[in-house]
Amino acid sequence: MAKQIKKVLVSRDLCIGAASCIAVMPEVFELDGENKAVLIQKGGVKNSGPATIDAFDVSSVNQETLRMAAESCPTKAIFLYDEDGNQVYPD
Amino acid sequence: MAEIIKIKYLIIGGGVAGTTAAETLRQSDADGSIAIVSDEPYPFYSRIMLSKPNFFLGKLPFENIFLKKENWYKEHNINFLGGVSASDLDPQRKIVSLSDGRTIEYEKLLLAIGGCARRWQIQGSDKKGICYLRTLDEAKEVINAIKTAQKAICVGGGFISFETCELLRMKNIDTTLLVMEPYFWANLLDEESGLMIEDAMQKGGVKIFKNETTEEVLGDENVKGLKTKSGKEFEADMIVVGIGIMCPMNFFQKNGLAVGRGILANEYLETNLPDIWTAGDSAEFKDVILNEQIMLGNWVNAQMQGKTAALNMLGKKQPFRMVSFYTTTAFGLNIAFVGDMKVSEGVSVIKRGSRESGSFGRLLIKNEKIIGTTLMNRTNEMAPISKLIENNFKIIGHEKELSDAGFDLKKLV
Repeated sequence: MAKQIKKVLVSRDLCIGAASCIAVMPEVFELDGENKAVLIQKGGVKNSGPATIDAFDVSSVNQETLRMAAESCPTKAIFLYDEDGNQVYPD
Repeated sequence: MAEIIKIKYLIIGGGVAGTTAAETLRQSDADGSIAIVSDEPYPFYSRIMLSKPNFFLGKLPFENIFLKKENWYKEHNINFLGGVSASDLDPQRKIVSLSDGRTIEYEKLLLAIGGCARRWQIQGSDKKGICYLRTLDEAKEVINAIKTAQKAICVGGGFISFETCELLRMKNIDTTLLVMEPYFWANLLDEESGLMIEDAMQKGGVKIFKNETTEEVLGDENVKGLKTKSGKEFEADMIVVGIGIMCPMNFFQKNGLAVGRGILANEYLETNLPDIWTAGDSAEFKDVILNEQIMLGNWVNAQMQGKTAALNMLGKKQPFRMVSFYTTTAFGLNIAFVGDMKVSEGVSVIKRGSRESGSFGRLLIKNEKIIGTTLMNRTNEMAPISKLIENNFKIIGHEKELSDAGFDLKKLV
């Protein structure tokens, strides 16, 4: 089993707003006014992160779906980190 | 006769639809044999990046274009047959013949064949310096050409021209755009939106000529320019032709596969033939939200259809249900399309903002419901509008809010 994802970052330089991540995980990702993906967090916070998955505005985060969302990005703009801060995707 | 290879799940097409399907199949069926036949020799790559400046101008390492490494196929026990194409289909015997002489007997077949760039059929269109932009090899040709090009012409009023013109201008190449329609992207957009795109491109230094059809490409072996039917001549040492895609369906048709503009499929992405599905750009499928047979050429649609087709191949009957969307950015302008953008009979339009204000959206309304939108610099409205379409939101009583460019559409969701 792959390492647990703890933290997510969207690179605004790489993101082109293809919205693949939103198709996979609309409860976590959306596009902002600049057509860049942002992470939907508790308390109405929306930014590109880094954000820990506990901060996401959902009751639970499916690890596999989150990984698929990152892997679906056609520009590899979504970075996933484990609890030690090691990058687990892109690998 | 050569040996017949037996494969449980055979996928024709190694793009995002085919690869996502293979991945989805493997998640549910650990042992069933899977093969992907791809006419391109490369592992799955990001077609969407091919026209993006980050990739073109070398800001990203070239390898970043690849979304799956070669060992991914091995690790997932997926047989990747690259650089070969399917050359015949016998749906009765469930056999696909390949261009290298091999034959495969399948249990379930997915046709995720995508499209290829429509070729120019005019005098001189075989000259060196004429580029298309659909495959990785075609992109490599454009990358090479822009290294030395002084003057370039883009032909066609769609996203290929929109994005290519930007990267040509980033390289300071003198860039002319020719479109045969009266304004840019006229097959999808209204004039106000089209002119907004033209404004942005002209501001970025692109010279635009409209109502121009190319008659002949000029030059010897190499492109030197072109001549239009109206008699104008333009100089160029490269021409990028972005006049749409077509589906290479040649042999599939004669074997009983029902096709229209693409391969016809129901909401389960099943074709008319048993055990054959289709997904991605080649699918002309029944859209359950719009209740229409439609065809879409975009990344996220192909990705989600690959998944749905695979689930149906696994016997988990699941309709494809998605409000489709497409976005592109160049010259500081963000463009987004959601749902159905055709202003056909019975469709009315509510406008939000204006060309002059720098942000302009259109809501397409049919039977009191929103069916689609086109957004210029209003991409943050994609999400709420998608939801309104999906939820069959009735606009009655909300017309004023919807036409108020400052009104937050999220309040209606």
